[in-house]
Amino acid sequence: MNFDLTHVWPEIFVATMACIVLVADLYTSRRDVAYWLSLLTIVGAAALTLALPAGGRELTLTDTYIAEPLTDVLKMVAYGVVALVFLYSRDYLRERDLLKGEYFVLGLFGLLGIMVMISAHHFLTLYLGLELLSLSLYAMVAFDRDSSICAESAMKYFVLGAIASGTLLFGMSLVYGVTGSLAINEVAAGVVAAGSTDIMLLIALAFMLVGVMFKLGAVPFHMWLPDVYHGAPTSTTLYIGTASKIASFALFVRAIGEAFGGLESDWRDMLIVLAVLSLGIGNIVAIAQTNLKRMLAYSTISHVGFILLGFIAADGQGYQAALFYTITYVLMAAGAFGMIILLSRAGFEADELADFKGLNQYSPWFALIMLLLMFSMAGVPPLIGFYAKLAVLAAVVEAGLTWLAIVAVVFSVIGAFYYLRVIKLMYFDAPEGDTRIDAGVGMRVVLSANGLAMLALGIFPGALLALCGTVIPLALR
Amino acid sequence: MIGLEHYLVLAAILFSLAVAGIFLNRKNVIVLLMCIELMLLAVNFNFVAFSRFLGNLDGQVFVFFILTVAAAEAAIGLAILVVLFRNRRSIDVDELDVLKG
Amino acid sequence: MIEAGIFYLFATVLVGAAVGVISSRNPVHAALFLVLAFVTSAVLWILLEAEFLGIVLVLVYVGAVMVLFLFVVMMLNVNIEKMRVGFTRYAPLGIIVALAVAAEIGYVIWTRRGQLPEKQPLPADNYSNTEALGAVLYTDYVYAFELAAIILLVAIVAAIALTMRQRAGVKAQDISAQVATRRQDRVRLVSMDSEPRQ
Repeated sequence: MNFDLTHVWPEIFVATMACIVLVADLYTSRRDVAYWLSLLTIVGAAALTLALPAGGRELTLTDTYIAEPLTDVLKMVAYGVVALVFLYSRDYLRERDLLKGEYFVLGLFGLLGIMVMISAHHFLTLYLGLELLSLSLYAMVAFDRDSSICAESAMKYFVLGAIASGTLLFGMSLVYGVTGSLAINEVAAGVVAAGSTDIMLLIALAFMLVGVMFKLGAVPFHMWLPDVYHGAPTSTTLYIGTASKIASFALFVRAIGEAFGGLESDWRDMLIVLAVLSLGIGNIVAIAQTNLKRMLAYSTISHVGFILLGFIAADGQGYQAALFYTITYVLMAAGAFGMIILLSRAGFEADELADFKGLNQYSPWFALIMLLLMFSMAGVPPLIGFYAKLAVLAAVVEAGLTWLAIVAVVFSVIGAFYYLRVIKLMYFDAPEGDTRIDAGVGMRVVLSANGLAMLALGIFPGALLALCGTVIPLALR
Repeated sequence: MIGLEHYLVLAAILFSLAVAGIFLNRKNVIVLLMCIELMLLAVNFNFVAFSRFLGNLDGQVFVFFILTVAAAEAAIGLAILVVLFRNRRSIDVDELDVLKG
Repeated sequence: MIEAGIFYLFATVLVGAAVGVISSRNPVHAALFLVLAFVTSAVLWILLEAEFLGIVLVLVYVGAVMVLFLFVVMMLNVNIEKMRVGFTRYAPLGIIVALAVAAEIGYVIWTRRGQLPEKQPLPADNYSNTEALGAVLYTDYVYAFELAAIILLVAIVAAIALTMRQRAGVKAQDISAQVATRRQDRVRLVSMDSEPRQ
């Protein structure tokens, strides 16, 4: 038994601070206290993670917890993204009278869930982390209690999320029956020993894959995604669209990539179908949307297709590309939803495409930021989104699936249309209605930095890509 | 003699009944939540049976945690249901049509 | 032999109760069928010598979760007549999917019959299932145990944040404010010029 807590301190710190925020919020009427304490928590957790880096693969807490360079990188990205979410959310929540300590507490517990999933080395901890994140998100979606659209999307999210968890668990129970263990390294060894002739293992794989794809939002398990993105308060959409994608990446890597490494050839075929469907449906249906949040939801589905392409390559290069794409996508999505929050104000959501008409006339700077974000999502060089797509396509071609790379390129060209439409609306149409931007200075500065980062990372993509390459563990190469 | 396969078949029947129930009761959210509980019961059956027949306690520990999480999940699900009902005066899924998939 | 009898009896009741849950039009009946399903499952788990979980299933699930379900059904006062309108258009699809899932898993189990492990003998005569679970729960699984505690905390925070309302305009008495009040808060002396007699 090994109870070395060295690498677990960030989790302990976040859990403790979330409880402190919860109590501190009770004794003050100033709602900003919870906000600042939450940001402080994230900074502290980041400092702890940086101060206690994992050298190689280290298991602790009787092998239920794993620390390795990959977990450190994923956690740092999660901290950064959740901090962005909190920064963007404050004004939005205050204008809607939703600025309550509980929102940030739930956000911190969600972050803890993401961290637990990233460091899970046992199906049980993976499941508990997933539920910790999901339960926090269900509540955050329903947080606007007087809005019936929020409650409706929360209910849909809850029911489909619970079904996905049930399916995932059913798969896990069959895996347990075949391999006799739930620890991921032992499961992986058992899977290799059983081989792909074991039908029960294949059924287990299918059930687990369905559960994981539900959480990722790949077609045909994507039904919840547009409704939840549309119905949730934009600050929660921002959380689901960014931070939880990192968790989904970790979920796939641990539950399928690592545990089922021995059945790679079997799940690869299933993933190819899902990836092509996601790319197709995501890009084509997005064109028909008039609501920007829904459009971004379908665009998420197509980006999930790209991440799946990286998984399909299923070697060191493929996982590197998938990780790079995930980080890039999360940053782009944070910026795009941040723009919606920037333009919205009390009683006005700014989530229709028409709300972006003529942005260039009254705010050329933020029109430029949005232009960078949209071009990056469409994959226009020299922005970071281009290199992310390039890395994934290179990995797919390397894996001998050139036709798949061609399909992906065709669909992303189709997809470029709806990103360009946003730019057309901003630059060539006349503004309608009120053209005030109420956002505070902090939000403006951070959002500008977020948008410019697309350009900066696009000019110097090498460092991040190399980092993604070095942290992929041997078990996945 | 009752073997492992008996329990597994029973769990499979429960699971498929839960899946059928989710399709049949799309109109009624509260029964939908009960179908989800049924699904988790099927999962728990698998774990308990495997645990006993493999002579390994991990499965029973997993069931312990699934029960805990399912209780928390039910609490949040019902809370969302109450919020929905307050806003709508109805939990009929047919009327949940502001967001169309 | 007696084990087979108990198994088939309770398995039949369990499947019947599950059918009742998914086919009842009345949510109260569905909830009560679900209670029946849980109780029979508990019996079957005890038959599998998982006594602790069997008891927990009755105490926690039937005792707390199902009561919560019933409480919400009663509180919402759902219009039962409206629920009686019959199955949705998805019913055939649902039955096909369910049959496919059952056939698939049944086939898998069929292919593996004979290779499945036999029941292991219990380690000792005075073996206690509860003690064995407790011994691993607080050692090997302490991390999971702490996480479960946090999940329950999240459920509390979320349920309160979503449903507790402070209604505006409630005429409640605030004793400390009454006691702490001062004369100058209540009485204001206004100096006015005296008005001339009409």
